[in-house]
Amino acid sequence: MKNIVLNETPVRTSKNYGINNIEIKDFEEPVIKEFKNIKITDNENCVSSEKENINLKFGLGDYFLNQSNCQANVNLKINVDKKLKEPIIIEYNLDQSNDVLVDNININANDNTKANIIVIYKSVDEINGYHNGICNAEIGANANIHVTIVNLLNTKINNFYSVNSNIEDESKTLFSMVEFGGKYNVVNYYAKLAGYKSVNKLHSIYLGKEEQRIDLNYITELYGEKTNVDIEVNGALKDKAKKNFKGTIDFKTGSKKAKGKENEYCTLLSDTSYSKALPMLLCTEDDVEGEHSTATGKVDDNELFYIMTRGISEKEAKKMIVKAKFNSVIQGIKEATVQNLILEEVDRRLD
Amino acid sequence: MSESKKKTQIKDFSTNIYDIKNKDEYSYKSKKGITKEIVEEISEQKNDPAWMRDFRLKALETYNKLELPTWGPNLDELNMDEIATYVRPKTDMKSSWDDVPEDIKNTFDALGIPEAEKESLAGVGAQYDSEVVYHSIKEDLVKQGVIYTDMETAVRDYPDIVKEHFMKCVPVSDHKFVALHGAVWSGGSFVYVPKGVQVDIPLQSYFRLNSPESGQFEHTLIIVDEGASLHFIEGCSAPKYNKVNLHVGCVELFVKKNAHLRYSTIENWSKNMMNLNTKRAIVEEGGKIEWVTGSFGSKVSMLYPMAVLNGANSKMEYTGISFAGHGQNLDTGLKVVHNAPNTSSVINSKSISKDGGIATFRSLERVMPSAKNSKLSVSCESLMLDNKSKSDTIPVSDIRTEEVEFSHEAKIGKISDEEIFYLMSRGISEEEAKAMIVRGFAYPISKELPLEYAVEMNNLINLELEGSIG
Repeated sequence: MKNIVLNETPVRTSKNYGINNIEIKDFEEPVIKEFKNIKITDNENCVSSEKENINLKFGLGDYFLNQSNCQANVNLKINVDKKLKEPIIIEYNLDQSNDVLVDNININANDNTKANIIVIYKSVDEINGYHNGICNAEIGANANIHVTIVNLLNTKINNFYSVNSNIEDESKTLFSMVEFGGKYNVVNYYAKLAGYKSVNKLHSIYLGKEEQRIDLNYITELYGEKTNVDIEVNGALKDKAKKNFKGTIDFKTGSKKAKGKENEYCTLLSDTSYSKALPMLLCTEDDVEGEHSTATGKVDDNELFYIMTRGISEKEAKKMIVKAKFNSVIQGIKEATVQNLILEEVDRRLD
Repeated sequence: MSESKKKTQIKDFSTNIYDIKNKDEYSYKSKKGITKEIVEEISEQKNDPAWMRDFRLKALETYNKLELPTWGPNLDELNMDEIATYVRPKTDMKSSWDDVPEDIKNTFDALGIPEAEKESLAGVGAQYDSEVVYHSIKEDLVKQGVIYTDMETAVRDYPDIVKEHFMKCVPVSDHKFVALHGAVWSGGSFVYVPKGVQVDIPLQSYFRLNSPESGQFEHTLIIVDEGASLHFIEGCSAPKYNKVNLHVGCVELFVKKNAHLRYSTIENWSKNMMNLNTKRAIVEEGGKIEWVTGSFGSKVSMLYPMAVLNGANSKMEYTGISFAGHGQNLDTGLKVVHNAPNTSSVINSKSISKDGGIATFRSLERVMPSAKNSKLSVSCESLMLDNKSKSDTIPVSDIRTEEVEFSHEAKIGKISDEEIFYLMSRGISEEEAKAMIVRGFAYPISKELPLEYAVEMNNLINLELEGSIG
């Protein structure tokens, strides 16, 4: 076991606030072996087992990047060279014999392409496991790419994940992130809006229970003119779960007429849960519009009362309210089986 | 019309009152640097009681142990070996302006302090370099038991109350510069408002640093007892020198049960000043602290007034504006800790950056598990006047109970082209339109300032914009 410090914010603030990074004091280095439980739905033959070294501008830290580049037990490349009609779905299942997963996925989307890529991480309930994943996306001009990362791991597995993307002219990207699993769930997301009029939407939902520690560090940098970022995060915490949300919109010089918006809402479902947020706006270009908002509170009493007057128990009513807050992200995934899978998990985890 | 108005603005500032430099005359100036011997010498010069001497030396030990902050503006230019931490002016404290040496009096005259005292203040303290040179308070307040004096007098005449409160609100272990302050502090004001006394007219302390390559380390300690109220105004300025000057003040405020304190600050230090000030209030049941802050000067500022809401139903309001121009890095904001039920805080911050200036809003809003039914609302807006400048918003919320309503909103952007066009279509020049819009942006803050400071702020906006156009 050792101490590790990871997931640094792009700009530091006082260390007394405990949000510049996350420290894990009982980090156990995994023994990496073969991982077999993987199912890929790829009807248009875009996925191959090809290894490419990845460079991350941010990421979780050198340890996780080096591990992924040197020791990954699953390497996938997704080459998108047309407008795909069917989704690509990659599903990893961690169990007793496949309890350590180090995977990297390289997405290369050419100009004028379209794709819907869904990556799901699941596990059986009772294992202690380890996951370190990286998803890297190079997105050409005028592409329309939707990437969904669904983390439904149990609450004993440590989950470390990095997303890195570069987005060229007039491309539209949507990243949907479902952050439910992990004893430690530490996620770094970075998008570089390099191209003129490129768009990046990041829609994320998180759910923490028991003693989960969630550390989400979402960073977007706007370089191109008329670029647009929209970060929408909605979460709920119960039991003794703790969450750090760190969201950064960084308007770089030259990003004229760019727009950036970031909202985070955290619903606290217990008095022992704990929410920290650091929504940053960084700006070196005057001709932009940036805004952020965060809010934290319990379930609204009036909403709860209204639903309960219809004969629904308090617990079910709270579930309904949380599901309603998650609804727009879940509905945006556009794959009914995946939507149902997520909704079932919300029910199960809020029971 | 436009031309004549422009001339008026230039004239207003051609006499730049803040930049008056007097000859660097003093009765004692410490050696540059920070050593045990220097601290002991300062203590001896000030004729400290033994407990204060020991306190200083312990603070120095803490200073030597602590690291510089790993965040915020770059402080590499600050070299403590080049700073004299104590400069005793060539006069002791007077209670009549006529007795203050002429050049020092002229400086405060130019700053408008004696005039403001006559017109709108209940008491005035004026510090020049490291010591207070003038102090006064209206007789009727003295009769009601209000104490307003310099800190040295307070240490001597009210030792028990000072010992009980001095650096208890802001402990020396808080950060490196607080420890430095604890070791070399001098000057500052002490205020005690007895139970139930309402001080309707503000008290004001003005801090002036004249000596080059020196620091000012004044300590302000205010106790507003149960049910009492006070408005305290703090102003500060210095002439500009080529080398770095340092301001490391410390403000400790104790707001007792159902008491009310408004603490207004207009900071207009010269642009060679490192302003690393610490301010904190502890608020008891039903009490209220209001911070009104305007930060315009200094080369680097790190200033985050903090309120600790320890009593049920206590409140904080923060209203602040900063204006970062060429060569300035103003890292400002606030901290609030909700530590009791039904507490509330409202935070409104605005910042303007131009001509390469860096304006950063940085905050912490913490709600402890005991603070059930707390409410916090935070709003911050940043205006960038060009793309050479930089504007960052770095707020942290830390919520540890579900029984809370917390919201934070921030916006960043430039002056809207449509607004300028609208005003110009009414015959207003572009410069005037911009100044008008910026004044409108700042208005929610300036209306909370004492009138003379609001006028000063508007003049400052005119001046700054004047330089930025054409």
